[in-house]
Amino acid sequence: MVEIIKEAVFGSLNTIFKIAVIVIPLMVAMQLLKDYKILDRFANILRPVTDFFGMSKEASFPLLIGLVFGISYGAGAIVQSSREGSLTKRDITLVVLFLVNCHAVIEDTLVFVAVGANGFILLGTRLVAAIMLTYTMSKWLDKSDPQFK
Amino acid sequence: MITGSIRRGIKQGIDTTLLLAKVVIPVYMFVTVLRYTPVMDMIATMFKPFMALFNLPGEAAVVLVLGNCLNFFAALGAMSAINLTAAQITTIALMLSFSHALFMETAVVKMLGVNEIGMTATRLAMSFIVGIIAGNIGGLLQWLK
Repeated sequence: MVEIIKEAVFGSLNTIFKIAVIVIPLMVAMQLLKDYKILDRFANILRPVTDFFGMSKEASFPLLIGLVFGISYGAGAIVQSSREGSLTKRDITLVVLFLVNCHAVIEDTLVFVAVGANGFILLGTRLVAAIMLTYTMSKWLDKSDPQFK
Repeated sequence: MITGSIRRGIKQGIDTTLLLAKVVIPVYMFVTVLRYTPVMDMIATMFKPFMALFNLPGEAAVVLVLGNCLNFFAALGAMSAINLTAAQITTIALMLSFSHALFMETAVVKMLGVNEIGMTATRLAMSFIVGIIAGNIGGLLQWLK
């Protein structure tokens, strides 16, 4: 019984430590990105991606925010952009489809690498799958409902 | 300004670590104790055929359920408490990266006015498909060795 408790205590503390080593520096980096609005400067960096899916160019920023900070922040950016009236229903559907499959890529990948997963396989598969799904959906939307825009 | 950002970042990091400690420690303890009871064997036997699709042991069902219902960190706690190979860890990580924290994230999607059932179904389907592919590739590599 003592052995079991010992195993549980040391094992769980060890796991926490592995995660903390990643999470703390990551949060510092994220805070700097947010405070200095660094991503705003790269708002258009995903334009080739949004062009590829035939989205409005304004979809680039929510996509970037979601990829880096996570789905909740991505959703916030979508709400903000759609208030300004620059996103269509089609844009929102495609951005959300992309982001539900692939978001917070830095944090999610590193956290799993900490417990022994292969980060390249993880990130690569997620990105490729999200691109394939979103592309298929974009074609399907255009065909099934040309008025969707 | 920059020291302020760093300080806030460190605080945020520590807060997050404490928050996840509250999840990881109980889950890890629970799963460790569970492993010494017949319950884990029952779960393992029950889910063995299903988990075999992903080349995972039956116990891994606990990890997938916790990750999908709660969050990543609950899954991490459970994952570290059971014995898995590196390939199996990657398979679980892949499956969970497509679908996790479904209650919370589906609520976010719903808020945006998008078809949340379709989105969640897609995530689960992706998780299973990728899990089957990755599990079998992992299994094949193991067999070749």
